Amino acid sequence: MDETRDGEGEVFPNISADISSAGPVPVPFSSVNWSGSSQPVEAKTKAQGMSHQSDVLPCDQLRDQVIGNQSSHTQLMETLLHLRQTVDDCITQLTTRPPQLDLPLEEQRHNQATGEQEAFLRRVVNLLQSGAMWGLGLQAPRPTLGPRDDAGGGQQAQLSRQLDQLVHQLSHLEVAFVSHDLSNRGIDISAFERSKFQDFKTYQGDKYHEDKNTMGFINLGVSENKLCTDLMTERLSRSDMNHLEDALLQYSDQRGQPFLREEVARFLTYYCKSPARLDPENVVVLSGCCSVFSALATVLCDPGEALLTPTPFFGGLVMGSYLYSKVELMPVHLDSEITDGSARPFQLTVDKLEQALLEATLKGKKVRGLLLINPQNPLGDVYSRDSLEEYLEFAKRYNLHVIIDELYMLSVFDDSVTFHSVLSMESLPDPNRTHMIWGTSKDFGISGFRFGALYTHNKEVASAVSSFGFLNGISGITQYKLCRLLQDREWIDKVYLPTNHSRLKAAHRYITNKLKALKIPFLNRGSGLYVWMNLKEYLQPCTFEEELLLHHRFLGNKLILSPGKTYMCKEPGWFRLIFSDKPLPLKLAMHRFYEVLAEQKRDLRVKQLEDPQKE
Amino acid sequence: MFALPEKESRAPSTCPGPASTQDLDSNCGDGLERECSRKPDQKLPELYGVGDPTAGFSSNSSHLSSRGGIIKWFWDSAEAGYRTYHMDEYDEDKNPSGIINLGTSENKLCFDLLSKRLSQSDMLRVEPALLQYPDWRGHLFLREEVARFLSFYCKSPVPLQAENVVVLNGCASVFSALATVLCEVGEAFLIPAPYYGAITQHVCLYGNVRLVSVYLDSEVTGPDTRPFQLTVEKLEMALQGANSQGIKVKGLILINPQNPLGDIYSPAELQNFLEFAKRHELHVMVDEVYMLSVFEESVGYRSVLSLERLPDPQRTHVMWATSKDFGMSGLRFGTLYTENRDVATAVASLCRYHGLSGLVQHQMAQLLRDRDWINQVYLPENHARLKAAHTYVAGELRALGIPFLSRGAGFFIWADLRKYLPEGSFEEERRLWRRFLDHKVLVSFGKAFECKEPGWFRLVFSDKAHRLCLGMQRVRQVLEGKSQVAEDPPACQTQEPRDRHR
Repeated sequence: MDETRDGEGEVFPNISADISSAGPVPVPFSSVNWSGSSQPVEAKTKAQGMSHQSDVLPCDQLRDQVIGNQSSHTQLMETLLHLRQTVDDCITQLTTRPPQLDLPLEEQRHNQATGEQEAFLRRVVNLLQSGAMWGLGLQAPRPTLGPRDDAGGGQQAQLSRQLDQLVHQLSHLEVAFVSHDLSNRGIDISAFERSKFQDFKTYQGDKYHEDKNTMGFINLGVSENKLCTDLMTERLSRSDMNHLEDALLQYSDQRGQPFLREEVARFLTYYCKSPARLDPENVVVLSGCCSVFSALATVLCDPGEALLTPTPFFGGLVMGSYLYSKVELMPVHLDSEITDGSARPFQLTVDKLEQALLEATLKGKKVRGLLLINPQNPLGDVYSRDSLEEYLEFAKRYNLHVIIDELYMLSVFDDSVTFHSVLSMESLPDPNRTHMIWGTSKDFGISGFRFGALYTHNKEVASAVSSFGFLNGISGITQYKLCRLLQDREWIDKVYLPTNHSRLKAAHRYITNKLKALKIPFLNRGSGLYVWMNLKEYLQPCTFEEELLLHHRFLGNKLILSPGKTYMCKEPGWFRLIFSDKPLPLKLAMHRFYEVLAEQKRDLRVKQLEDPQKE
Repeated sequence: MFALPEKESRAPSTCPGPASTQDLDSNCGDGLERECSRKPDQKLPELYGVGDPTAGFSSNSSHLSSRGGIIKWFWDSAEAGYRTYHMDEYDEDKNPSGIINLGTSENKLCFDLLSKRLSQSDMLRVEPALLQYPDWRGHLFLREEVARFLSFYCKSPVPLQAENVVVLNGCASVFSALATVLCEVGEAFLIPAPYYGAITQHVCLYGNVRLVSVYLDSEVTGPDTRPFQLTVEKLEMALQGANSQGIKVKGLILINPQNPLGDIYSPAELQNFLEFAKRHELHVMVDEVYMLSVFEESVGYRSVLSLERLPDPQRTHVMWATSKDFGMSGLRFGTLYTENRDVATAVASLCRYHGLSGLVQHQMAQLLRDRDWINQVYLPENHARLKAAHTYVAGELRALGIPFLSRGAGFFIWADLRKYLPEGSFEEERRLWRRFLDHKVLVSFGKAFECKEPGWFRLVFSDKAHRLCLGMQRVRQVLEGKSQVAEDPPACQTQEPRDRHR
């Protein structure tokens, strides 16, 4: 073991030095080609190479040095394999440690060794993690394994859980380092996918089914509305949906079929309560809201530029788009605590926006816009008209674009909550910089349709986004069905929405009652498909590592929830739970939820009892 | 490159007659060789060209990022011809004097068959799983069907694996995703030119990857050669050239059957190109989107997936779609086949941007599964109709004494109109194109395919007889009415910004 570690020594000093000096400065996606300058190609390429030296994550430098260079590529692979082997060895050793190490002397020695091993493992994990994460450019705290808070030894349970976690993380990252066919960004894309969506993949392979697979995963992590599939199936099966004409099978306007854009404009005019009729020319439809966001981010920001983003917020959408567009997010961290400036937990205020903008500017970040989600995901908050106005005025003051995602606008199920669409405002402070996104995934529970729409008054932006119509286009047949669906106001108003809202309400009531019974604090909002709850009580210490471990505990019991970290929440312990599932799976899920928490509580108690003894 | 209706085309051109090269060499009055020899003052040929889609562009937008400005400009310029067409589309009843579109590569011959098939009850199933988030690679039932389908129609020596299939919304997306996961910003792919020009945009928009053209010549240099023939030598030269300019080339794009030439690579050629790529550790992206649109049996088309042994299977990526072969460009269904799991995973990771509705995935699986219909109804009828349309257009061109390439695959003919350009400039080519448009017929000019010789045009023939006849009549009027276009006012200049730097 020692020998192995000595061997590592040659590699490690550099790496750890790199890590410690690292600010999480993401690689500026070279603006070379986009600059439109007339620099000769050669010069551009060189310039790009140069710029890498200065403002790049250290791990990235390492990779550039090694991977970028064909000849030493193999060397890196070997090093990494070697590292992995060592890690595996350590883990094996730690987990298979003979139980009779109870003698004080032995224990001391062991603890020392364990400490060293753990320190080493931490470095490895941090290294690998920063390697895999560099591309994300997120300012959120990384799940680094800092020095253990409880330095005493003997927490067998915790140690083994930490090891589980290491193994878990390493397996996520594995793919990132074995491919020599992918570009760096290709590697990042894969690593991102693996780290963020592994759970979803696991779920896909072992889905709960009330007859066929009752032991399968119940997914209360992915935001889907499964409550009205009966209504949707019936509606989509009606004969008017099956119309076919040659235009549907041929290339269409890249912005989307004119009939669909007209319908979207009418639909939004009505449901967003727009004071004036919305113009179909301002509508672009693409394959899903992710695509709309990604295209928007690309045409509004150059690589390395940033959007202000109040957090916690739905990360998947935007972090994913970083992969394609290399636009960064500057989090505006919100607090769960109610302070002078705020009336409710996690309230967004203009002060916080100002402060975040200032900080970003001081860091040399060019902020091009503000991203708002309303109704908010994962909080379920709905912005008041005044707040919305304030945010928009703030953006106008600084010439910031506002991208406002209203994906849940029809999923406000509590009648006492009034949602105000940005399109309902009498006059927008800066209409040319206000861009609204909506889609049918959530409000109609058809995420599998892949439909998202952009509404913007800015013709330039609409045209530029339309360029993506080819890469993010929707099938003509699907466009037709969507048009029919949006057209059928009678059905939407009299059948679908009332039923959907009452089912959402019932499911929400069921879940919140359970949470109340368990004395789990949560935000009680009447919109969205989720509840944002606080499980801090179950974390000890209250860290993101513990949050992740709890998440894995849920997974172990075949229940998928989303930990707050995924939403860039700055406080550990928050989880998002999707309640828009059928009663049966929901009930089973809550049973599993309860089991895990009970088990977690038992462990905490054991730990509490052990701790004083060790001191 | 996007100047044209080009946004749509993605097919190799085709040609008429029984034996293509012979048409060019001898059959036609004005054979290519004569054309070429007419211009002794030609400069040394360029061997390759590094595409810079952003050259000559300057942004003045206050709202868009600088790349946003470029992207918008793509849109504006791509739409020029196409928009004119859309504002004045031909309709037999409503707008008989509207523009006939022989520019967009779409097969409009078999809508009757398709609409009948797509309306059958098996197509109309709706179930909850189809309405929810799918596996991003595509629903398993569809990937399995694609694997079976390709195994059969590509004549793969071994059954292809569903695990190697990724489903996206069209081949444009496959290009985009592959460019992104295989290349860093500013790196490049080699591509033999002329080629389907929209690829430039596909790899550039998100990926910021560019194309290095391997210029091909119309001139025939030896007894066993044909016009615009791709050789390993040319690939080597282009690669070397690009490298000498400091451009990192990561792959080679092959379109087979080729668009716009309608050419087909023999298995031996294919093997050579793949070996070349292997030598230089290049990825090869083979676009076989016209593989079932080979309507001359004698051509003997072979898919790359039919090769006994791929030189570098981990770096060979095949794409196919229903857009051309099933005349459903509006359906947006494309697929990648690669044995490289890393590449498949990385591409799948981008599929949240390139997804396809679950209902359409179901329909595609049903369609691909129905071999009886495909083999006994659709393909024979489609080929017969393609052949008939092709024969007609080829005949018209022969009557005009226009040389063209023809090998019996794809939807178009690559026609040599150089004799109508006295100076042989791209400016004249553009003007001739404009004249066609003014006479209400939309075609594609060679520049849009990065062809380095001015005067080549692509004519799509896969349209209904009445439109085709009218279109060809208008083509004839333009060409016969005036074979000299040099003095025409440059009416189009202001509208086609791309031309300025090309």
